[in-house]
Amino acid sequence: MTLEAFFLPVGTPRGGRRYCLFHKPASAARACVLYVHPFAEEMNKSRRMAALMARQFAADGVAVLQMDLHGCGDSSGDFGDASWHDWVDDVLVGCTWLRERTGARPWLWGLRSGCLLAAEAARRLSHTGLHVDLLWWAPIASGKAALQHFLRLKSAGELLAGSASRGSVDALRERLAAGESIEVGGYRLSSALASGLEQASLASAAGDRRLASWDVGSGHAASPAVQRVLAQWQIAGAQCRSGVVEGPAFWQTTEVEEAPNLIAASRETVAEAVTA
Amino acid sequence: MDVTHEVIRVLEDVLSLKGRSTSFSRETPLLGAVPELDSMAVVSLLTTLEERFGIVIDDGDINGETFRTVGTLVDFVNEQLATSA
Repeated sequence: MTLEAFFLPVGTPRGGRRYCLFHKPASAARACVLYVHPFAEEMNKSRRMAALMARQFAADGVAVLQMDLHGCGDSSGDFGDASWHDWVDDVLVGCTWLRERTGARPWLWGLRSGCLLAAEAARRLSHTGLHVDLLWWAPIASGKAALQHFLRLKSAGELLAGSASRGSVDALRERLAAGESIEVGGYRLSSALASGLEQASLASAAGDRRLASWDVGSGHAASPAVQRVLAQWQIAGAQCRSGVVEGPAFWQTTEVEEAPNLIAASRETVAEAVTA
Repeated sequence: MDVTHEVIRVLEDVLSLKGRSTSFSRETPLLGAVPELDSMAVVSLLTTLEERFGIVIDDGDINGETFRTVGTLVDFVNEQLATSA
């Protein structure tokens, strides 16, 4: 297997170039996967797990494209100028590239808020008749919750500095609603990104597809919120499976950690689809 | 459910304490005493507590006292459990 690093020009309204890593299997790809990363600190903390998974997939004969979204990682643009819609456009560009390159129907593999992006991209693609498969890692059930978690970083910083004030998250929301950007944990969050994120959901799209949702932790089943979402996808035609594997929440732990059980479960998920 | 036990387990997992939490008791100081407890870790703790206990934490309820010791954090979770029951 080989690793190609390159910049992919995007012809979307936003334009620019996205940094991509393509993990190419030694022989013709049996399947292909597009990694959709979470944002800000969660993206950084999960780099190692994303790389380990991508390498494992490639060793199994599955091609993987890792793309840094607009304003993230090594891609062009500033995080503060990124919007949710640009990111969905980027995911669609990555999907098209993968399909042309491998000839296979892509899996969208999302982590945390990346699952929200993957779901939205899947809905958009369904309108064009393409039903991509979905692999979710520890999905956040709603964009509203994802935004809340991110804004908390600011109030938590104030808490540690001893200057916590009641309702500071509400005040941040008001500023975003008024079209202002705010700075949280070293990231400038634009009003456009916040509003897109807040409206994002895991809502289903019609179509025959596979959807696997894996979480890590000590529980035995996906959270009730995710189970409700999976039931909707099932009605819409998806073959769903979900589960919880033992392992650390590597996207948020203080140290960089690994969750080998999650990699094993995901390999199995994609391998089953290939042999089916 | 043993809330104290669960809270210590969440601290161990989220802060990557590598077993240091086995010596934790209600009196163990957290904020200012556990170096891993930075702002990102506070957010992760709140999120994990919400998911683990099925509670919704109103940020307005949180202050420095909440994270002063293991005991104050356990009391906070118990209060949240009582109001969401």
